[in-house]
This record gives sequence, structure tokens and C-alpha cells, in this order.
Amino acid sequence: MNNKLKVLRAMRNWSQAELADRLDVSRQAVNAIETGKYDPSLPLAFKLARLFDMPIEEIFDDGHEGNDND
Amino acid sequence: MTDADASKPRRRMSPRQKRYWTSLGLAAVIGGVVGGWMVADQADAPHSAATLFSGALTPGFAIGASLAWAIGLAICMIIYHRAIDDHEERAWLWASMAGWYAFIFPAPVWWVLHRAGMAPPVDAMILFVFSLVANCIVYLWLKFR
Repeated sequence: MNNKLKVLRAMRNWSQAELADRLDVSRQAVNAIETGKYDPSLPLAFKLARLFDMPIEEIFDDGHEGNDND
Repeated sequence: MTDADASKPRRRMSPRQKRYWTSLGLAAVIGGVVGGWMVADQADAPHSAATLFSGALTPGFAIGASLAWAIGLAICMIIYHRAIDDHEERAWLWASMAGWYAFIFPAPVWWVLHRAGMAPPVDAMILFVFSLVANCIVYLWLKFR
């Protein structure tokens, strides 16, 4: 799953360690999410959304076009 | 101090991080104590790797080390699992699965080969170490790659 975490973090001039502190996770977790090696759990995704004050779907992109429920 | 500096979180350990490092530190201390005790318990035996890993042990050490392992591991694991984040939990779960597979694949094969007289008796510690190595490799790969 693609995400904008690295860009959002850079816009705030935060290091991976600083973002990890704010989320109370390890730096390795932030790195793994940024590089797409790990998709966060729903609670962590919500935490990220609250931290960046954005909807989850603006941070993460599952590559699925549209928003239909078919 | 600038506003930007003031807004930065202080780099003190969070309660989760404190629990995490407590569990690892406690495990290291228990491992060190048991390992040192085992070496001391065999101080009179000839010094060799074979003696260290398969020589006779005193009942006192055997009971003490068993209790330290079982109780210490249980306490460390409770603290550890309350402290790890999502990412590490995933690494732990997959590593546990790899360790389990590293046991269930060879164990029955070795057992039937032994019963057919084609292999030595099953050695539980070899299987344990094999499982532990598989566990460690997968954990480290998922955690630090």
C-alpha cells in the first residue's frame, strides 16, 4: 500500500525517530511503513490521521479507484 | 528556545519503551545468571564445548535453572507483549510461525527415521536450537530489513 508518510513527515521537518516518539512506536516501524514494507494496523492508521489532521485515505492509497461499494 | 524547539517532544522514554527495555534487560540478566551458573556448576569438569553442553549438572542447578527459565520467561514475555508495537508484534508472530514450522517439519521425520534404525535418537535440544534459529532469523529480517 502506498502512503504519503515520508512527505508529510518531511513537511514538518520531523525525523523518523521524532515521528516514532509522537506515535509511541519504534523508529523501525515508521521506516517500514514509509518504505511500504509494513501496512499499519487500523488503530495506528487512525493515530497517524489524527497526528497529521488528515483523513486516513489521504495518507494511504490502496490503489483502488473510486469509492463504490460493489 | 524557539517555538519549533518547544513543540518538539522530549526524547524521554515512554512507558511503553520503558516496559520494552525492562523486559529485554530482565531476559538478559536471567540469561547471564543462568549461563554463568551453568559454567560454575561444571567448573570441576574438563573444559570443552561438549562438556559444557552435554555434561552432567547438579540437581540444584537443574531445578534452579528450570525455575529461572520458566518463571523468568513468563514474566519477561508478559512485559514484552504489553510493550511491543504493531510492527514488532507482526515480526514476532511470523517469527513464531517460522520457529514452529522449523520444529514440526523435522521432528516427525527424525522420529520415524530413528524407529527404522536410520538415524540416532531424536535430540530435543537440537530441534529447540533449530527452531530458535529460524525464529531469530525471521524476527530480525522483519524487524530490521
